[in-house]
Amino acid sequence: MRKTGLSPFILACMVFGFTFLYAPIIMLIIFSFNASRLVTVWAGFSTKWYGELMHDEQILGAAYLSFQIATINAFLSVIIGTMAAFALVRFGRFYGRSLMIQSISSRLVLPDVILGLSILLLFVSLQGLIGWPERRGMMTIIIAHVTFSSAYVAIVVQSRLAGLDRSFEEAAFDLGAGPFTVFRTVTLPMIAPSLIAGWLLAFILSFDDLVIASFASGPSATTLPMVIFSKVRLGINPEVNALATIIVVAVAIGVVLAGSLLQRQAATRGDGKP
Amino acid sequence: MNWKIGTGFAALAMVGMFAATAQAEDKVLNIYNWSDYIAEDTVAKFEAETGIKVRYDVYDGNETMEAKLMAGNSGYDIVVPTAFPFLDREIKAGVFQKLDKSKIPNLKNLDPELMKRVSAADPGNEHAVIWMWGTTGIGYNADAVAKRIPDAPTNSYDLVFKPENAAKLKDCGITFLDSPTDIMPIVLNYLGLDPLSSDPADLKKAEVLMMSIRPYVKYFNSSQYINDLANGDVCVSVGWSGDVFQAQARASEAANGVNIQYSIPKEGTMIWFDNVAIPKDAPHPENATKWINFILKPEIAGANSDYVAYANPVPASKEFMSEEVKDNPEIYPSEEVMAKLFAVPTKEASYTRLETRAWTTIRTGQ
Repeated sequence: MRKTGLSPFILACMVFGFTFLYAPIIMLIIFSFNASRLVTVWAGFSTKWYGELMHDEQILGAAYLSFQIATINAFLSVIIGTMAAFALVRFGRFYGRSLMIQSISSRLVLPDVILGLSILLLFVSLQGLIGWPERRGMMTIIIAHVTFSSAYVAIVVQSRLAGLDRSFEEAAFDLGAGPFTVFRTVTLPMIAPSLIAGWLLAFILSFDDLVIASFASGPSATTLPMVIFSKVRLGINPEVNALATIIVVAVAIGVVLAGSLLQRQAATRGDGKP
Repeated sequence: MNWKIGTGFAALAMVGMFAATAQAEDKVLNIYNWSDYIAEDTVAKFEAETGIKVRYDVYDGNETMEAKLMAGNSGYDIVVPTAFPFLDREIKAGVFQKLDKSKIPNLKNLDPELMKRVSAADPGNEHAVIWMWGTTGIGYNADAVAKRIPDAPTNSYDLVFKPENAAKLKDCGITFLDSPTDIMPIVLNYLGLDPLSSDPADLKKAEVLMMSIRPYVKYFNSSQYINDLANGDVCVSVGWSGDVFQAQARASEAANGVNIQYSIPKEGTMIWFDNVAIPKDAPHPENATKWINFILKPEIAGANSDYVAYANPVPASKEFMSEEVKDNPEIYPSEEVMAKLFAVPTKEASYTRLETRAWTTIRTGQ
């Protein structure tokens, strides 16, 4: 029997990999406790930036707006993206299928600037033609984000659906279940991991998007990335690090909770994945 | 079930009422500017004085703002474009409305000399007033430069444009703004040519000079140098005045022993202006007019300059500033230096293309 210890080479790879992934995040967290206004020069320990952050309505407001947009975007993208994936995998060779594939992949490869600008022009001409949207803001940013994140969701769900064994569903049909019951009790649980992955992907894409949101936004809708980039001109301070630290910690807690939840589920089912 | 329908109608009616009042009152002003480019309490003071609610949005660059302005119906009432090339071409494209000068009595507070300079972008100053202005100059780490070049000509572009000086500074780092329209006119001026020239032969001479010092340049970037100067990672940056002051402030706050200075070179250099203007399709032009009148009050303009450390166009505001700002010759240069500063209107497209190509050559060093 082979010993399960790690060879020095594997260990070195692992250390390198983890450093590569985590060093920037750790630096960011360390500098959020910096006493200096300079983001890159250490001048002693302090929590004052967390205090300032709590009073900075601009940043907090923007963070809240970004969070709302990302959440709504994630749900809408999962719904629309899943429907698109179903159409592509299950509907055979329907009329306009290749057009649909192209429209999905084009949103993946189009540079943000082009997508953002075309969306802006679309909104402006719509406003001229039918008077909607009356003014751009949170709603238009969500629409713009769903436009591209639903494409990512569609790709993720599609690959899961394509690899799915249809005999489970056929068995359910044979036993007299209606299409909705089959979808709810058989298909949905089987593609759930890809839905979660798609949801998270859509959330992240929206949360850190600067370019498309800049074009699609209007008065009183400034998202977090827009505020941070705008601060570059007159100086970023460790407040931004403090906010990032809070986000990292929140995400870490979320990941750990989700992980243990999934593990427990797998354990009670006893089989792991279908 | 009736009450449900009833509340539904009531809610609808209320929504309708709010919509109606919003239209009648119109006590809102949408401002689009850089973040932190204003004193912290200016907006609150304006709201208290006029009862107008300000919605303050920020952008990351003139380009983003311009795209929205050009597309139309941006929803903003006040925007702050840089004079050259942005305000210049935006006015030519007709995206701004003329100021109602009869409603802005504080226009009399403006410095006529400065307004004359910006009129190259805005003929007759009909569309915009200056928000802040500054220069492009040399930011340098005084100790590091003195160590390498005793009696360094820090008040002259000789410091970076003479290859023998640049070579000595190579190991500690020279940086330039990554913008041909900001750097090339300065090079032309340094060579004794007209910075406004659009002669390809002049451009070639400027390119040759830049290539001669290219091996000693660490990078071309328009924002990174702020932190790098403050940290002592680079020695000399040709950059915007406000950025260098920021580096200075950060270094002294960090107490890291880095002594950053700014100088307006004696050969003369570029002056830049950020301007306040009202888009043609602004939903609240009257409130915007009130805002412009408000920011031209000496005490308000003074407080803003004090906070951001940029010069404003209202001379009477100096008495409301701290001495570090108003007596700083690098923020408010002397008459003599002012006479040597130049603004460069947008050059013709064929020249700009050549300039961009030359800049690519310089950047890549090939």
